[in-house]
Amino acid sequence: MKLLNKTIRYYALISLPLLAIACVVSYWLIKSELRDGTDESLMREYIKAKELIQSNSINQTYYLSPDSLSYIKPQANESFVSGCTDTLIYDNIEQEEISFRKLTKQHSFNGKTYLITVLKTTIEEDELLESILSTFFIIVGLLAIAFFIANWLLSKSMWKPFYETINELNRYEIKNHEEHTFPKSDTLEFNQLNETLNKLTNKIYQDYVQQKEFTENASHELQTPIAVLKANVNLLMQSPHLKEQEMGQLQSMDNTLKKISSLNKALLLLAKIENNQFIEIEQINISEVLSKAIENIQEVAEVKGLKLFTSIEPNILVKMNPTLCEVLISNFLQNSIRHNKQGGEIQVKLSTNGLIVSNSGEPLSIKPEELFVRFKKNDSSKESIGLGLAIVKGIVDLYNFSIRYSFENSMHHFELKFI
Amino acid sequence: MKILLIEDEAELRKSIKQYLHQEGYLVESAADFVKASEKAGVYDYDCILVDITLPKGSGLDIIKQLKENHSKAGIIIISAKNSSGDKIKGLDLGADDYLAKPFDLAELNSRIKALIRRRNFDGSKSIVVNEITIIPDERQVKVNGDSINLTAKEYDLLLFFIANKNRVVSKNAIAEHLWGDDSDQMDSHDFIYVHLRNLRKKLMEKGCADYVQTIYGIGYNFKTN
Repeated sequence: MKLLNKTIRYYALISLPLLAIACVVSYWLIKSELRDGTDESLMREYIKAKELIQSNSINQTYYLSPDSLSYIKPQANESFVSGCTDTLIYDNIEQEEISFRKLTKQHSFNGKTYLITVLKTTIEEDELLESILSTFFIIVGLLAIAFFIANWLLSKSMWKPFYETINELNRYEIKNHEEHTFPKSDTLEFNQLNETLNKLTNKIYQDYVQQKEFTENASHELQTPIAVLKANVNLLMQSPHLKEQEMGQLQSMDNTLKKISSLNKALLLLAKIENNQFIEIEQINISEVLSKAIENIQEVAEVKGLKLFTSIEPNILVKMNPTLCEVLISNFLQNSIRHNKQGGEIQVKLSTNGLIVSNSGEPLSIKPEELFVRFKKNDSSKESIGLGLAIVKGIVDLYNFSIRYSFENSMHHFELKFI
Repeated sequence: MKILLIEDEAELRKSIKQYLHQEGYLVESAADFVKASEKAGVYDYDCILVDITLPKGSGLDIIKQLKENHSKAGIIIISAKNSSGDKIKGLDLGADDYLAKPFDLAELNSRIKALIRRRNFDGSKSIVVNEITIIPDERQVKVNGDSINLTAKEYDLLLFFIANKNRVVSKNAIAEHLWGDDSDQMDSHDFIYVHLRNLRKKLMEKGCADYVQTIYGIGYNFKTN
């Protein structure tokens, strides 16, 4: 949930019950004020009635005025409730019950007891209450709406720097590190946040650079010791007194050294690609590079019994580093040979749409998205060092090409687009 | 044949020196830039093997110095820095070849031989080993005077064997020589066998002795004596 909505929701949660309570309380307050007013006027009428009794002798029920319902009645032994009460009286004209306020009291004068009943309709009061309350509701409603809108606008402008910071962070890519240009805000917290983020990303970038350099330096430093080992194994091979078992051991050492050496070379290459050390960019005729690379693998394909189908559109030009172009193509082709099956096939198709290399083979045992991750390799390829496709991905990323993998009809497809 | 080896790593220096010495070369060595520059300035060598990263200086400067002094020595760069930038810079300065560490000593040997052969304008243009004669400029091979037709790979294999004759050459070294970086990708040993079988057949058809000895587990030895 967005922060803005969240604050508004909390405001609503707090203010709506408060408003409801305020409504109820003001209803009762207004109502009791109005009632007091009515009761007071009833009281005044009662006093008038008392005066009437004192000045006139009243022997039968006497209505205070012709259209009034208030009356004075000489006391018979009639039971009554003394004081103010609410009552409903049926009105013949309106043909409905109308609510009245009624004051009934006894009054003794000259030894006679009178029952005074004064009535006053509360319709007006009710209507007044109604209109006061509806005005109140309208005001409260408008206030609430105004409040929400104001709050929303205010929050939006207040949180604006925060969202800009998020956008800036989203755009951030460690490979193209630049000092962030966060918008200056007059909010202390946002400035602190931006400052901290700047420090953090700078630190991450420094670590990243060091890490990258470390891989490259480590691979470099390994080259010489491997060369020493290799040279010594070469020398030892020349010894004329070797037993068969020792020769086998030497061979195993030589094979292992070769493996270490190619692993190291691949790591170094990957580090160099990632460190963007292949700067020269040329317009390359990729059709020629591909044809040449296919020539190189033809022999291997033949021995493995692989059928090679090629369709190469001539003179397709791509802007990239020539070394990386060769590496890219040969890694694709080697991959298609290595992960093929005996008697399988390879299809290579180059057009203006891009390069598609397909080869037959077993389905992947790893997830397709792990295919381009370093050292993630399929079970079936023990010989592989697991860096070939990571290098491909490195080159693809470097030039913003795109690559897609799919497995259809028992064929692995790699589709490369030069855009 | 005099070779100057400029390499700061003592162990590697020792091994290369020993291997080339067995090959019959006179090998002198220098471990840093100052000594290397001194020796290269004073003596004449047929071939100079130079590492680029050296204590007290760069191997590239030694190449520059040699070229300024119009040295006739062939220059092979041996470097741990397998960067195309360094390679191009070195070759532009006038180096003849570039070999990235780690390399096989047999490979180094064959590069030195090829370089000396190319440099040796006055000398003979062919390599003669008993009944085999190779004319590298024409990529032609004759056995007892009869030309034989070899494929490119068979020719390269034969030349590599002859450069390293009477030496044990590992299958890995052969694979790397014939297929370069692509050799990582295949069970290259079977391929070597196929090419070797054809080469042997073609040589022996013309009455050539079978010089190739299989050294169990490791590789082959082209034994001519």
